[in-house]
Parts: sequence; C-alpha cells; structure tokens
Amino acid sequence: MTIQGKWRWPRACLAALWLSLPASAAADEPVGTLGMVGSDTMAGLMLRWGEQLAARHPGIRLQLQASGSASAPPALAAGTTRIGPMSRPMRDHERTAFIEEHGYPPVELEVARDALVVIVHRHNPLEFLSLAQVDAIFSRTRRCGAERELDRWERLGVETIEGRIELHGRNSASGSYGLFRQRALCGGEYRRRLNEHPGAAAVVAAVTENPEGIGYAGLNHLTPGVKALALEVNGNRYRPDAERVRQGDYPLSRSLYLYANLPPGEALSGPERALLELILSPEGQATVSELGFVALSGEALAQQRRRLGLDTSP
Amino acid sequence: MIEPSRLASPPRSHWRHQRDRLATGLIAAGGIGVVGAVMAIGAFLAFEVLPALAGGGIDTERLRDALTPMAWGTLKAALGAMVFAIPLALGAAMHSALFMSQRLRSRMKPSLEMMEALPGVVVGFIAGLVLAPWIERHLAGSLALLAILPLGVLLAAASWRRLSVGWRRRLPLSRAGLWLIPWLALLGYASFALSPIVEARLFGGDLRVWLDAELGLDYATRNALIVGLAMGFAVMPSVYALAEDALSGVPSRLGEGAHALGATRWQTLWRVVLPAAAPGIFAAVMIGAGRAVGETMIVLMASGNTALMSLNPFEGMRTMAAGIAVEMPEAVPGSEEYLLLMLAALLLFAFTFLVNTLAEVVRSRLRRRYRWLGGAP
Amino acid sequence: MKRRAVRRLPRSEGPWAWLAAGSVAVSLLMLGGLLLLIAVRGLGHFWPASVALVTLDDGRAIAGRATRELPLVGQEGNERLYFTGNRDFDGHVWEWIPVSAIASQQRPVDLVVLERRRYGDFIGRLVAVGPVGLSVDHPDQEAVWPRLQARLQAQQALRDERDRLVRDTLRPLVQRVDANPGDHDAREALAEVNDKVRALQAGMHGEVAIVESVGGRRLEQPLDEVLRAWRPNAMSPVEKLMAWAQNVWRFLSEGPRDVNATGGVWPAIFGTVLMVLLMSLLVTPFGVLAAVYLNEVAHQGRMTHLVRIAVRNLAGVPSIVYGVFGLGVFVYGIGSSLDEWFFSDALPSPTFGTGGLLWASLTLALLTLPVVIVATEEGLARIPVEQREGALALGATRLETLTRVVLPMAVPAMLTGVILAVARAAGEVAPLMLVGVAKLAPQVPVDGEFPYLHLERKFMHLGYHIYDTAFHGNDVQAAMPVVYATALLLVLVILLLNLTAILLRHYFRARHGVLARQP
Repeated sequence: MTIQGKWRWPRACLAALWLSLPASAAADEPVGTLGMVGSDTMAGLMLRWGEQLAARHPGIRLQLQASGSASAPPALAAGTTRIGPMSRPMRDHERTAFIEEHGYPPVELEVARDALVVIVHRHNPLEFLSLAQVDAIFSRTRRCGAERELDRWERLGVETIEGRIELHGRNSASGSYGLFRQRALCGGEYRRRLNEHPGAAAVVAAVTENPEGIGYAGLNHLTPGVKALALEVNGNRYRPDAERVRQGDYPLSRSLYLYANLPPGEALSGPERALLELILSPEGQATVSELGFVALSGEALAQQRRRLGLDTSP
Repeated sequence: MIEPSRLASPPRSHWRHQRDRLATGLIAAGGIGVVGAVMAIGAFLAFEVLPALAGGGIDTERLRDALTPMAWGTLKAALGAMVFAIPLALGAAMHSALFMSQRLRSRMKPSLEMMEALPGVVVGFIAGLVLAPWIERHLAGSLALLAILPLGVLLAAASWRRLSVGWRRRLPLSRAGLWLIPWLALLGYASFALSPIVEARLFGGDLRVWLDAELGLDYATRNALIVGLAMGFAVMPSVYALAEDALSGVPSRLGEGAHALGATRWQTLWRVVLPAAAPGIFAAVMIGAGRAVGETMIVLMASGNTALMSLNPFEGMRTMAAGIAVEMPEAVPGSEEYLLLMLAALLLFAFTFLVNTLAEVVRSRLRRRYRWLGGAP
Repeated sequence: MKRRAVRRLPRSEGPWAWLAAGSVAVSLLMLGGLLLLIAVRGLGHFWPASVALVTLDDGRAIAGRATRELPLVGQEGNERLYFTGNRDFDGHVWEWIPVSAIASQQRPVDLVVLERRRYGDFIGRLVAVGPVGLSVDHPDQEAVWPRLQARLQAQQALRDERDRLVRDTLRPLVQRVDANPGDHDAREALAEVNDKVRALQAGMHGEVAIVESVGGRRLEQPLDEVLRAWRPNAMSPVEKLMAWAQNVWRFLSEGPRDVNATGGVWPAIFGTVLMVLLMSLLVTPFGVLAAVYLNEVAHQGRMTHLVRIAVRNLAGVPSIVYGVFGLGVFVYGIGSSLDEWFFSDALPSPTFGTGGLLWASLTLALLTLPVVIVATEEGLARIPVEQREGALALGATRLETLTRVVLPMAVPAMLTGVILAVARAAGEVAPLMLVGVAKLAPQVPVDGEFPYLHLERKFMHLGYHIYDTAFHGNDVQAAMPVVYATALLLVLVILLLNLTAILLRHYFRARHGVLARQP
C-alpha cells in the first residue's frame, strides 16, 4: 500500500468533517451515554472510536466494560446494554437466549477483520508451513493428518537453527487458544511442552528472544522481531496480509463483531446511529488499520450500512 | 509524683464497672469475630470443594490429569528456590550472627528486610523478561558463575592469610560481606567475558546445543533455573531473618564457654551454636518453603507455564498459584474448571498452613528452651 | 583484657566462615544489581536521547534511537535494534539492522521527533508549517522550527479551552438533557456550546506540518494530533535535563496512551493509593481489636496460644489463596446477593457481583490483618506489666487502663504494623487479578457524580500495570521503558514505606527498652 493510500482516509474524513459542520442542525444533535459490555480484545479499538465520537459529537459519552466476549450476550439479552462488541460470532445458545427474551435476533455487524498468525524468530529461514505441519508441531494428537510429529527444526529442513522446537502459545482461558486449537489443530490437544503465556504480546516477545521458538499471536501484535509465516492449504499458500485476511482466504482469519439490539422496523437512537456511522465510515476503518487490525472492504462496508439504513455514500 | 487516686462515688463506680464489662465483652466479641473471619478462609475453601469432590462433581480422571503437573511444578519451583535460597540465607545468617559487628549487623538486617519487601511482580518481570533471555544467551557464563563465586571467595580467603597484619586489620573477616563485593563483581564480569572462549573449546561453540546433543537436555528460555534464582532471591530474606534470630538468640554463655576452651568462632558455631539453634533454622527453612510454594507473580512471569513433569532444571513448569491467577478470572463459578482451581487453592492453603504451624511450634519450643538455658531474650 | 583481645592477630577461621561471608556479599550484590538496573532503566526512559541518522550499505537511510544490540543467530557479528517510529509509513516502529551493514552514522541537528496522538512518534525532518494544502516550494529551514513551536502552543491553548468548555459547560448540560429530554432551554444552550466546541475543533483541524522521513517520504501531519515536538540532537545537556524533568512530571501526572504502552501512570497511582487507603481504614480497627483481645482480654491459656499461632500462620498463606477467597466470598457470594437486593434493575450485568475497589480493599485487608495483629501484639507485649498494675492500683477499670495507658503506649507499634501492611498491600498483585483490578479504567473511582466514591468500579494499580503492560500490551519492546519506570516508582514507594516502618520501630524500641514479657 502506498503512503497516499494510507493517508487518503484520514484526510478525506477531515475534509468530510469540515464540510459537515454547518449542516448539523442544532435540534437533533445526539446526546447521551452509550454503555457497552463485551470483548477485551476490542477494548483499544472501542476506546479509540469513543474518542473520535466525542470529537464529532461532544455530547456523547462512551462507557465501556471490557470483561471478555462472553459477557456481551447475557447483557444484550437482558437489555442492560444495547451494543455488545465480540471478538467471535455469537454461539447458537446465546442467540437463542436473546431471541427468547426479545422475539427477534440481534443485528450482527462485522466491524473489522483479524487473524492469528504463526510466527517464528526473525532469523528463521522458514517461509511457510502447511496446516498439517502446524498441527504436527503444536499438537500431540495430530488430527489434521500429519504422519509423524515434528519436534526438531532439522525435520523441517531448517539448517541454521538447531535443537528442539520451542512452542509458545496462549493460556487456556483465552479466545486465541480455543480458535487456534479448533482451526489449526483440528480440535486436537496441544502438546504439553507448550509455553502458555498470559498475553499475546508475551508470545511475540518470547519468540523474539528465542531463535528456536514458534508461536501464534494476533495480527495486531506483530513486530519486526518475529517473522509471520504463510500457511499452505490444499497446495495454495496464503500470507497473513491485509488482503488475504479481508477476503478470509488466510485460514486463521476471523471477524470482530458488534451486536446490536435493534427491533425490526425501528430506527437507531441518535448516539447509536452516530457511533455506527463512525465505525462504518472511512475514518472509523482507518482507526482499525491504525491499531493493527484489518479494515473491511468497501463492499462489506456498503452492505452493512445498507442494512442499518445509513447513508450508503460516505 | 504520687497523687492520691480520686476514687469515684459508688453509683458512678457502678456505671464504670458496667461499662468496663460491656467494653470487655465487645472487645472479646470483636476479637473473636476478626480471628474467626481470618480463619474462615480454610473453612470456605473446604466447603466449596469437598462436597463436590465427595459427590462426584469432578471427574477424577480429569482431576488427576490437570492437578498432577501443577503439583509437580509447584514442588519443582519451590525446590529450585530453596536450592538457591538456603545456602545464601543460612550463610548470611551465620556470618551476621557470629562474625559481624553489632553496628554493621543493625545496618545489614534492615537492608535485607528491604529485599523482602520488593514486590514479586517486579522480581518476576526482571526474571522473566530480562534475565531469562540474557541467561539463555550467556548460559555457559552463568553456570560457570555457580562454581566461580565460591572458588573466588576461597581464593580471597587464601590470599588474605598471606596479607600483612595491617591489611588484615583493614580488611577483617567481620566486614568481608562488604569488601568481597567488588571482587565478586569483577569475577562475575570475567566469567561472562571469558565464557565464550571456554564454550568454543569445550562445548563446540554453544552449550545449549551440546546439552541437547550429549545429555538430551532441552533448554527452555523460562525454566526452573530462572524461577529458582528469582524466587530464591525473594524467599532468601525471610529465611535469613528467622535463621539469624535463632542463631543470635542462642544464650551467649554457651559460645563463651567454647571460646574459653580455645575453639575458633567457626568451631563454636558449628559444634555449639548451630546444634542449639537447629530447630529454629529448620523452622526458618520451612517458612521459606511455604512462601516459595505460594509465590505467584514470579512463577507466572518467569516459568513459561508449561504443563511438563520433568526433572530437567532447564525446562519450565506450571504451578498451582500461577494456574489459579491466570485461569480463575475466566472460570465460571460452579464449573468443573472452577472447582479444580478451588481445589488447588485448598491444597495450597493446607500445605502452607501445615508447614507454618510446624515451624511455629518448633520455634516456640525453641524459645522456651533458650529461656530455660538462661539466655537473654 | 578486652584490649589485649583486640590487639591480638585476627585468627584464621577456615574456609566455611569465608563462604558464609561470601553469601552475604552475593546477596547484597544481587540486591544492588537489581535496584541499579531498575533505577538506570527507569530513569533513563525519560531522557531525550539523541537520534542517529544511519546510512546502510545499500544506500538506504533510517533515523532512530539505538535500543539494544544482540549477537546474530548462526552468523558472526551483532545486530542492532533501532526505534524508528513512523508507524504510518512502515506499519511498525522497529528496525533490526546488522551492525556490519551500517555504512555511516551521523547526528544531524535538524532531525525532529514529533510525539503524536495517533501512530506514535514521528522521526524525520520538518519541511513546512501552515494551513492545509500549503505549497512547499521554498522551505525555509530556520524559520520553520520556531513557527512549529508557536503553532503547537496555540494548539495547546485551543485544546485546553475546549477541554474546559466540555468539562464545565457541556457535561452539566448533557446531564440536564439526559435527565429531562423535554428541557428546551438546556437543549438550546447545549447546541450553542456544541457549536462553540466544534468551532474550536475546526480551528485546530486547519493546520498541518509537512514532514519528511529520512527516506524521503512526505506526510501532511495535522497539527492537532501532535502533542509535542523536539530536536534532540540540537538540545544542550541543560535543555535535556529540563526536558527530562518535564517528562518525569508528565509520567506521574498523565494518563496512559496507546493501550498503556506510552503516556503516564496517574490513574494507576491514584488507584493504588485509594485502594491502600481504604484497606488501611478497614484493617487498622479490626487488627487492633483482635490484638487487644488476644493480648489483654483473652485468658492466656492453651487455646489463646493456638489461636495466636494460627493467626501468625495466616501471614504465611499465599496471597493468591486470599484472592480466591475474596472472589468466592466477596464477589460471588456477598456481591451477588447485594446485586439481587439493591441493583436488580441492572442485572444481569453485575454491579457489586464483579471485582471492584471495595472487594479488592477488603481482600487485601484480610491479607494484611495478620501483619497488623502480630505487630500490635508485639507492641502490647513490650509494655511493662507494672504500667497496667499501676493504673489498676490507682483505681482505673480495665477499660480505662486500656484506653488511657496501654493503647497510647502501643500506638507506634500499631503504626508500624499498618505501614508494613500498606507496604505489603501496595506490592501485592496476584489477589487483585481476581478481585477487581483493571487493565485500563477510563473512569477513576472518584468523580463529581453522586456518590462521588464509586466502590463498585474497577481501578488501575501500579503492580498490575507492570504485569499487564509487560504481557498484554501490543508491543512489549515498546512498552519496556514504561514497565521499568513503573517498577521503579513502585519499588521506591514500597522502600519508602518500609524505611518509615523500620525507623519507627527503631525509635520505639529505643524508647521502651527491651522486652518486658514474651508473647
């Protein structure tokens, strides 16, 4: 991406803000407090959006309780919050609970894309792994079909690094642990040798210091100290770059969601509308890439705006 | 000075006595309440866990699967810490109780108390993020240090005997704890500067590769060695303080008797003082072990949290305390996971409580014996 | 005789005595090394370090601060890590450069560092300052820098005015409208203020600085996102020292930015202090009560002896166990019941049924209760029995003896106990992780909203800040300086508290002499 491309959005939105100033009528200025309960992965993103919202509409304040994705569905179902950020899609039983309470399903909005990336030390000559190899490295069950376990770098054909492969991952309570297990280990068991770090940044830091290390972390945690590997599925290699993650080709990509309690046929309240307007605008999506996640494609944005009845030409 | 007591009139006196009784009752009730509240911890854990355990709320197979590595790791970490802490703490306690001047000792004790006050999160951060990668890169030098430091001290002792009388007075043994510091720092520096050469000669350039190839020992960045070092550092001051108390509490008559018979100070210590203080030192070690078992942040940040069960000191482990700290906030109350962590907490509680009680009983016996022997405190 | 003993040659004590001395030296060396490391790294973080312009063998140029140097893997030589900033260009702020690939290094004085609200620092050259869309045909290097400083000050003034307007006028109006949506006066006033705020913001948006990276890429940087700018290579040591002091102050007084990786720790200091204060309010009366009961009221029999041993033992129970107790009893037990009785309209999102300030203080109070009990008891035991007997003989009741004679004499011991408890609580992190500490609490637990002190809110804590920033942030390397600085702050606070306790105890012992009665 060129500089031009990266800086087009903020500049465009500044211009848009400038133009929209005189037009905003005093009477329907949105005012109020937006309470949100949900994901902690998205806490930084939500806070940044909150700041931008406060700059656009000084009367709106955002209150965030970021205690994990699992806290959003019950709060939505009970009506204590109308918007819940989640770093995974709602599960069936959570959706059913919501429908039982309200009689209609919650509105699901995709607000950003994210991915888990397999990383090695920056001097590791390895460029890609197949999913079966990843499974053979990380798992003791080898459900994805590898024939033998891989526990030494020599077996992967890496000459410059000797010794046993040291595994770095997340602790079992985290969402990444579950996602990686489900997608990369085909639901199998991790090897006992796995270093279970309490945070993604700690995984990256550990692999940075450890030439024999391999690990996985969210896209927004990558640094030049580690190297992101491409993954091979059915003979095709996918690098975890913005385009592949946006399209969902990269096998460990996922979406970040916002769930809203919106009865069919009803319009959004002023502050909610202002927030969603911001998130689905180029300015809001620029924040997504600023924080290291992947912004949605223009098409996906337009589609979501249409569903909410927002103006489709930002 | 003596003033006549102004005795109150009888009715007022009656009210005063009533008030006194009331207040005493309240204090007693409050005190029992507070003590009870503190004790409630064990009762709470037992009530949460035991019914589920007895009623089959937890799958025993899974329980064993999850708990055994944690118990193993806890003991391994504590053992590592004690290996580092005991020689340092007991050595320091003997030196300061018997060789140091009173003045120096009164400075030394508070500074080691400060060491005890260093928060675990700071020690853990340094150990896990700074020391662990550094030691991995300088493994040969670090291991060599374990041998070089004692040898360096002995070398210093040997050359001290060759010194002139004036120098020996200027650098007395009673201050050796201070003037040895620059010498040891120099040795440490030399050890790290020279180790690459030795490593290249003896181990083919990389000790870690050699360990792996020759001995089959895997080296993980965050391992029992690091945890032992960091936690030993954290536990050492409390062991030191208690052991020092025990040693300096030994009635001075005993030591003076030995001196009079011509024993050196070290002989006195070894043959007379140490046997007398042995229960106290045992108690100190027990209390240190109790602390090492429960220390959370250091292990959490420096152990790698690996559910391995190996004896290899270069591999990581998972301990109960760290497991609770990481997993508990996410566990749903009443779930199997939650009960499992509660059980781990109960085990920790029971273990430390037993160890500490044992130590406390031994200590109070010891105090009585000292008093009986006629020592000062 | 004593004299002769001193004159005699020091006798040789054999190797073991020397090894014992060596262990003292090793302990002190480790302690000193650790403190030195934290102090140097923690304070060094605030120093405005010079920026190097590095030209590589392949002609590429980068500008940045060298942060660390490591040996290369599998090859001879070292590689160096540079902090290069400019995340909007490269997507990252670090660059690993093999030392052998460096052709030349300079420190040109015109390199500018911009501290920005988005994308972190910018390192490069300043080309022009002016309104959006200005042309950069004939840049005048010398005039641009003072101009930038002047514009940044003007921006700061505008920002301050906006913040004041929002805080003093807009927020109260929003509350009025929230409470009564039909209040037309308020709505109109609000619209007016909103327009004012917008006008201020529009004034801020209009200006940009055109900057250029050393690689030659240009960027139009809106000035309202620039917090500060400096030219480290052009600063004299005195200027650097002043900037250093200013940075230290900003660290202590500002909130964190960039998911805690930069900025200050003010909310964490505030949270720690508030939690510790609440804890000492809880622990002091109960601790003293229990100590008085055990030492003055209870019958000194076998039972009391056992209870005393048990209380002492509880000081040795791991802190995480207290955390589990707090979570199970306070949060899930008492908190959930409170929610059901008083805050049922907010359920299922918990009010007191989740970790918060109150539960954290209570848990830590429980944790430090044995410390206070033991210290107070020790103080009570030191008071000679004659004092009590004298008071009683003069006709005082037990209560009067206690409140007029015994307790006043034990005050220093209680103080020592409370200070030790505070020092322990300030450094304790593990139990807090279960009962209410937060990674980022945008709202401090004290504010202008009724009831002013929000006991149910989560709070930030210095110790947890260290752990969280080092393990949960976005980039550990970038957060390292903040971690060191926070660690230094925490260690200083705790050492200071301990030192106070030690001095107090010393003074107290000197005043009351040796033990009068063994507990």
